[in-house]
Amino acid sequence: MGEAFVAAIGQTSAQLALRDPDTRLMLGVRDDEPGAFEELVARYQSRLVGILHHLVGNADEAEDLAQEVFLRVYRARKKYRARCKFSTWFFTIANNLALNSLRSRQRRPAVQLKTSGADSSGLRPAEQLVADSSGNQPVRRIQQGELASVIRQAVEGLNERQRIAVVLNKFEDMNYAEIAEVMGLTTKAVKSLLCRSRTNLRAALQNYIYMDGQPVPEAAADEKD
Amino acid sequence: MGTLPPLTDEERENLIAYLDGELDEKTARAFEAKLNRDPRYRAEADTLSRTWSLLDYLPQTEPSTAFGTRTLESVSAFRPATRARKASWHRQPWVLGTGWAAAVVVAAVLGFTGVARWTRWAHPAPPSMELDPADADEQLARDLRVIENQRLYEKVDDLDFLRKLADPDLFGDGS
Repeated sequence: MGEAFVAAIGQTSAQLALRDPDTRLMLGVRDDEPGAFEELVARYQSRLVGILHHLVGNADEAEDLAQEVFLRVYRARKKYRARCKFSTWFFTIANNLALNSLRSRQRRPAVQLKTSGADSSGLRPAEQLVADSSGNQPVRRIQQGELASVIRQAVEGLNERQRIAVVLNKFEDMNYAEIAEVMGLTTKAVKSLLCRSRTNLRAALQNYIYMDGQPVPEAAADEKD
Repeated sequence: MGTLPPLTDEERENLIAYLDGELDEKTARAFEAKLNRDPRYRAEADTLSRTWSLLDYLPQTEPSTAFGTRTLESVSAFRPATRARKASWHRQPWVLGTGWAAAVVVAAVLGFTGVARWTRWAHPAPPSMELDPADADEQLARDLRVIENQRLYEKVDDLDFLRKLADPDLFGDGS
């Protein structure tokens, strides 16, 4: 009875997955249909390179990693089963590769110093932004490029797992359950992870939140003081 | 307002889950009520939402123009070899030529056989010319002398020469 139920659930999720056009495309890649892999690369290259750039903070490295992701997808194609949305499976591979890359980078001290963005004060970007905020002088006329740079630093200031959760949630529009599947966590753990990530980001970007001239809510002003 | 305690971690987690649309309907309604009556929730929701919106300023990185080609080239090394062979064998000119030659030979054999059968069917053979065994014996007896002298006759060039030999002036018995 229980096995039949599990089988039925599996069948249902497979049927749901088959409604996803990318899952069907990947099944074509699995069956060596001509042009299927080319189509997959065309559909996913921008999203993947964009996500990886947010994660590793370097465009060239993001492209190298993206290429490796596609290569792994191709090599693993015969093992692909339509049990979940294709993008979940795809970004699980991307997540694992990005994590490996970030961890191997941490094992290289010279690179770590450069990529962690620590300046002469020894502070990491997020810490530096918080330190800047202690001056209590919000930057009101910051250029968009500079703002992007500040935000990128704030994202890079998050730890690996927080960064991955944020990027998947924000830029891939994944819900907590999908992120949990990609990262191999429980949904509850993802909820906590995203909460800490967003609290840290808020602390890092405190000076830029109300720079559009909007009034600061009373309670937020109290908190800031 | 300053006297109110800040949100606990759990309250903040639920607030963010609410902002992300991750709460079930009942819990979401309860949160809406809290947001309406508690300024701490409103301020927290406001700053967290604004922070989240700031991430939209991050530029979307596009892959370089060569990325797709480079990726497909890197994957081509892993394309199955059998597939490559399958794809290329029919492009070999000798295979095509041999195939056509074989087809022509088969067509010729079939055509020949077909025509022969049709001819036999359309024009049946005349009745057999073979002799009865009795007639054959009779003919053999009649030609016996010719058969006996066949070795001699073979040395004769023509019939006229034979007749001359029979001339009594030449080999007459002298009687």
